[in-house]
Amino acid sequence: MENDRDSAEWLRGLSAEGPVREETVSRLRALLLRVARAVATQRRASVPDRGLEEVDDLCHQAASDAAMAILRKLPDFRGDSRFTTWACKFVMFEISTRLRRHAWRHRKIEPNEQVLDRLVDSALPALTRLEQTETLHFLQRAIRDDLTDRQRLIFQAAVLDEVPIDVLAERLDSTRGAIYKILHDARARLRRALARNEGKEERV
Amino acid sequence: MKRDPLEGLLGHTGRDPGCDAAFEQFDRYCDACLRGKDVEREFPEFMNHLRNCPGCREDAEGLLAALRQLDED
Repeated sequence: MENDRDSAEWLRGLSAEGPVREETVSRLRALLLRVARAVATQRRASVPDRGLEEVDDLCHQAASDAAMAILRKLPDFRGDSRFTTWACKFVMFEISTRLRRHAWRHRKIEPNEQVLDRLVDSALPALTRLEQTETLHFLQRAIRDDLTDRQRLIFQAAVLDEVPIDVLAERLDSTRGAIYKILHDARARLRRALARNEGKEERV
Repeated sequence: MKRDPLEGLLGHTGRDPGCDAAFEQFDRYCDACLRGKDVEREFPEFMNHLRNCPGCREDAEGLLAALRQLDED
């Protein structure tokens, strides 16, 4: 298959020594930079105040870090996908994280009770249509009473304020995976509280 | 299928492997999409994660768009 031949060629080049490796690494960096720039173009609306030069700097940094990660993780590549797809996911995450963090750089993230008030008033027209205001009031209380401080902060920021997870990870000195786990646990806790409440109402 | 109205707040109820595990599957998922495979059937947990995680969803869409562009060039 052509794709497999292409992947094998990349692997041969990156595993070689001397000029062959240098030429392949250089091709890889060019590919990664191209993808980073394509993603930056897609997201231009989310970073409106950035000069083109600054965005290009971010693309270069992302391509460079992604290339290092790819070379380090090369022994892990099992050929389950095309090599270029596998490689491009690294630069995707590098540039994506940089663009999001930059877009949020001047914005504060802090606990804010008023955000919870908005939950019922304006955030969810679909739910209001379904006359679930009671449920939302219960959820407001559950967010206040059932979540830990960290779960509440992360739930509020990620779900109600739509702060990207990787921005939260940076601000809270954590990782994207760890922040997502806390959000996941918070949501599960709220679902359980809701189920308990619905059970109680049915019994009444 | 009836959509859970609380999904936007509380997430999809199916199993969600999280961002780290999803990252491991991103390349296989994208190649499957590009080959027109039934990704809902092949990657059910990954798809749940994309429903719950706007960041990963945006990254998956962005990566797919970039790969399509590379394939066209």
